[in-house]
Amino acid sequence: MSSAKADTPNQKFRSKRRNQIIGKIVIYAILLVITICMILPFLWMLSASIKSNREVFVMDPFVWIPKQPKWDNYIKIWTKIPLLKFVQNTVILTIVVTFLQLLTSSFAAYSFAKLEFKHKNALFLAYIATIAMPWQVYMVPQFIMMRSMGLNDKLLAMICLQAFSAFGVFLMKQFYEGIPNDLCEAARIDGMSEYRIYAKIMLPLSKPALSTLTIFTFVNTWNDYLGPLIYLRTETKKTIQLGLKMFIGQYSAEYGLIMAGSVVSLIPVIIVFLCLQKYFVEGVASTGLKG
Amino acid sequence: MDEKKAALVQELETEAAELMRQIRAETDIQKKKKLIVKRDSVQRKLTAVRNNRRISRETKRDLVAYSFIAPNFIGFAVFTLVPIVFAFVLAFMNWDGSNAISFVGLENFKRMPQDTFFLAAFKNTILYVLGTVPLTMIVSLALAIVLNQKIRARGFFRTVAFFPYVASLAAITAVWSMIFHPSKGPVNYILYSLFKVPQDQLPKWFSGGLVLFTLVLFSVWKYMGYYMVIYLAGLQGISAELYEAGSLDGANTWQKFRYITWPQLRSTTFFVVVMLTINCFKVYDIAVMLAGGGDGKLSTSATVLVYYIYQNAFNYWDLGYSSAIAMVLFILVLIVTLIQFRYEKKLEA
Amino acid sequence: MKKKLISVMLSTAMIATVLAGCGGSDAAQAPAAEEAAAGEEITLKWAIWDKDITPYWQAIKDGYEASHPGVTVEMTDLGATDYMTVLATELSGSGSDFDVVTIKDVPGYATLVSKNTLEPLDSYIADAGIDLSVYGGVDKQVTVNGSLYELPFRNDFWVVFYNKDIFDAAGVDYPTNDMTFEQYDELARKVADTTFGSQIYGTHYHTWRSAVQLFGVLDGKHTVMDGNYDFFKPYYEMVLKQEDDSICRNYADLSAEGLHYSAAFSGGDVAMLNMGSWYISTLIASLASGEYDSSLCGNWGIVKYPHAQGVEPGSTLGTITGLSVTSVSDQKDAAFDFVEWVSGPEGAAVMASTGNFPALMNDEISDIIAGLEGFPTDDASKEALSVSNLYLEVPYAEKVSEVNDILDTYHKSIMNREVSIDDGIASMNAEVEKVLAQ
Repeated sequence: MSSAKADTPNQKFRSKRRNQIIGKIVIYAILLVITICMILPFLWMLSASIKSNREVFVMDPFVWIPKQPKWDNYIKIWTKIPLLKFVQNTVILTIVVTFLQLLTSSFAAYSFAKLEFKHKNALFLAYIATIAMPWQVYMVPQFIMMRSMGLNDKLLAMICLQAFSAFGVFLMKQFYEGIPNDLCEAARIDGMSEYRIYAKIMLPLSKPALSTLTIFTFVNTWNDYLGPLIYLRTETKKTIQLGLKMFIGQYSAEYGLIMAGSVVSLIPVIIVFLCLQKYFVEGVASTGLKG
Repeated sequence: MDEKKAALVQELETEAAELMRQIRAETDIQKKKKLIVKRDSVQRKLTAVRNNRRISRETKRDLVAYSFIAPNFIGFAVFTLVPIVFAFVLAFMNWDGSNAISFVGLENFKRMPQDTFFLAAFKNTILYVLGTVPLTMIVSLALAIVLNQKIRARGFFRTVAFFPYVASLAAITAVWSMIFHPSKGPVNYILYSLFKVPQDQLPKWFSGGLVLFTLVLFSVWKYMGYYMVIYLAGLQGISAELYEAGSLDGANTWQKFRYITWPQLRSTTFFVVVMLTINCFKVYDIAVMLAGGGDGKLSTSATVLVYYIYQNAFNYWDLGYSSAIAMVLFILVLIVTLIQFRYEKKLEA
Repeated sequence: MKKKLISVMLSTAMIATVLAGCGGSDAAQAPAAEEAAAGEEITLKWAIWDKDITPYWQAIKDGYEASHPGVTVEMTDLGATDYMTVLATELSGSGSDFDVVTIKDVPGYATLVSKNTLEPLDSYIADAGIDLSVYGGVDKQVTVNGSLYELPFRNDFWVVFYNKDIFDAAGVDYPTNDMTFEQYDELARKVADTTFGSQIYGTHYHTWRSAVQLFGVLDGKHTVMDGNYDFFKPYYEMVLKQEDDSICRNYADLSAEGLHYSAAFSGGDVAMLNMGSWYISTLIASLASGEYDSSLCGNWGIVKYPHAQGVEPGSTLGTITGLSVTSVSDQKDAAFDFVEWVSGPEGAAVMASTGNFPALMNDEISDIIAGLEGFPTDDASKEALSVSNLYLEVPYAEKVSEVNDILDTYHKSIMNREVSIDDGIASMNAEVEKVLAQ
């Protein structure tokens, strides 16, 4: 009897529900696998950072937290290499670059998005064209030029290099274009100057885009390797990436220490990311980065 | 002063009248438009002079706009545009950075086909791009679709997927080289103990034919979170009504993806693929840190274009050749980007 | 408008080029004579690496300043990684103010010479009447077109370090100062313990190509600039065979973890390690400070490098560290005086007192080093310090950087077993030929 009534709405609803549940299970299973793949190396890093060299590669039995955690790995790293100096350099560099990047590119982007002026298209084209140009294509001439300006081996060189990217202008412009023009027009009629419109109206509205740009810039600057490798040669000027690489070279077998250093190098970026991440997807969506 | 002003007014008026005459006479609509613009500008100048303003409103407007652009543009022009032009010039030169520079024409480019290391770097870079771009795209799209569903702890999963992207390369490659250590690492240990792979056949992840595979794997792992966010943003731009309409038509999940999600994401995919391609062609630090061993030198199985550019510039001081290889890199990126633009245009039409 | 912009940028770029290209050499030369002649306060700027962990820089500076009142030596630390690249960058174009630079390796030296950044020292050497024969011929291996651009002050040579405790435990006789490669291989196999878990490696080869390839140049018939590298073959065979039999750590592992040789030897599971004599002072210092566990590697000794059948024992590889005067220096005479002092007997004594080997080697200097606290007390170790023939790891030649990299690359490929020994060597031959033909 029941088979004859297989098509009743109730049955259909039930099978749909069942499908949904199966779907959910599949989704969670996939997510679980991906999450494990994503996070396992970090857990391994944390675990290895409190192990002794011998314990790191012991697989049978594998333990996450050793019986006697070597917390002093985290103290030792500060004395083995001038880690503090490296962190200091990187922090200064990253903050200055991020600040300059946010300021100058939002400034320029406002002009491109909301003002009319001569050669607007030509200037914007110059920016766009360089986005597709890998930095490595012109790193050598750029280096030669910087050196002739006496900027070789100075943090200032890295700042000049990273603070004026085309990407930032592009990203901010896309965002500003999404803000209705009426807002600016109304302000102009009220007699506000362009500078005040930028400062009082546009800037407060651009929090999501600024957060996005902050994360991108911060992550890029903090993690840059080739740039500092070429420009910062003296030990006292090196950044944490160079320092960490150097440390890995010198203390190759001190796995615990290497991992402790790695953990330390991750903390600042992760803090910045966690602080800004709630704006992040929104920021990307509203900047039209999606295309 | 007044005389001067009168003379200027006179001059501008004549110019405006002359332009007006030309406009009437012009038949080509495009040229006509241009002339009208020109006349407007003269007219505006005229009003400015008549009203005793020193600069016209138009000039003032331009100056304000430039003042916004200047801080960024000056830095950008000096530190990016000038070196790019310089790079183009240098590719046709022979220079070691100290002695006299000399023009050698296409000599630098002619050397490439005979250069084993260049060819290896070229091949490896292409293979790396071919492996990384589609894989990263697929994985990040899939992840974005999953994380766009209404599920528990969505924020947590998104954060986790983005973790590898923010992690510093030196740190994370150190972990990878431990996890994939050929004889002690957990990955090979699992292969050995669970899958009974004999000890001498355990894969050597960082050398030989496998090294490129490891590089691709690592890149996908590290960058999928980044592109996932971009896809997520794209997905959020698709209106829910489309899906509702699809449901009413009885579309299943795959059909919804095929006929709604995928076409709607076209511009996002375009952006993702272009950015991915550009970024993949730039690969350098991943290769050096994963496959460089103790001395950071790459053998022919792992060498990439940027490594060879660096090597020629800073080790051999052959700056011309190094720039010429950089040009090849640029042309590669350009070609791929143009093909993608073409394809995108075709789809749009 | 567009055209104009491009032409402006182009000319700016060209000006930058020209400035960078020739600014350096002429600008600073004029006041050279005046300053040196004044005889007043002189400050010499000197480029070095790893100031904090290398004991002799400070000792040299102190020694020189004490005997030369009015002179201040100012050291700039450029770091050990990529030192020569950094230096080449510093010296090319304008802006550098170094008077004296330390030369770490020959490929880097060749680069600096070809960039005309170093001053030829021949006339200074002739004026000062320096007898170059005290350097045992190494000066000839770095002479460029008849001119010498550096004076060596430190000279390291390769020896075999061994861990006596391991040999004692295995009941195997210590290595000797007169071993053929066959005996060496046999010894490594005897002392090794391949039991899983308590593995003892008979020997250890660091990932540098010098550690394997250069066994081949010890007979004096070949050099690395030959262009034909078939003579590497027996040594690659020996080492790869040892790897197969777990007599030594495998290259792929070492390379994946970037294992430093000091970490390998101080871990107490390596019986023999072929390495440069610079490791002697590191070993002594690290054991004294407790950084190395003395129960693992505290009982060590050294012997001479093994030799091929029929070749006199005591032939080994060497690496020199030299000092050069820069061509931009405005006080070249004062700079050369410093170079002469450091590479002369006074400098040699300072080097020896810190446990390092000066280029100017004689019995007295050997005695100083052998008498250091922490140096092995057996006679064989002391005797191992006397070298009969020294072949530089890389002698000077044009294109030496390129050749060096080619050999490095294929060394990697062979050791990673990406290619067979024969194919690897064939590639070396082919590639080097191309470079040399240019």
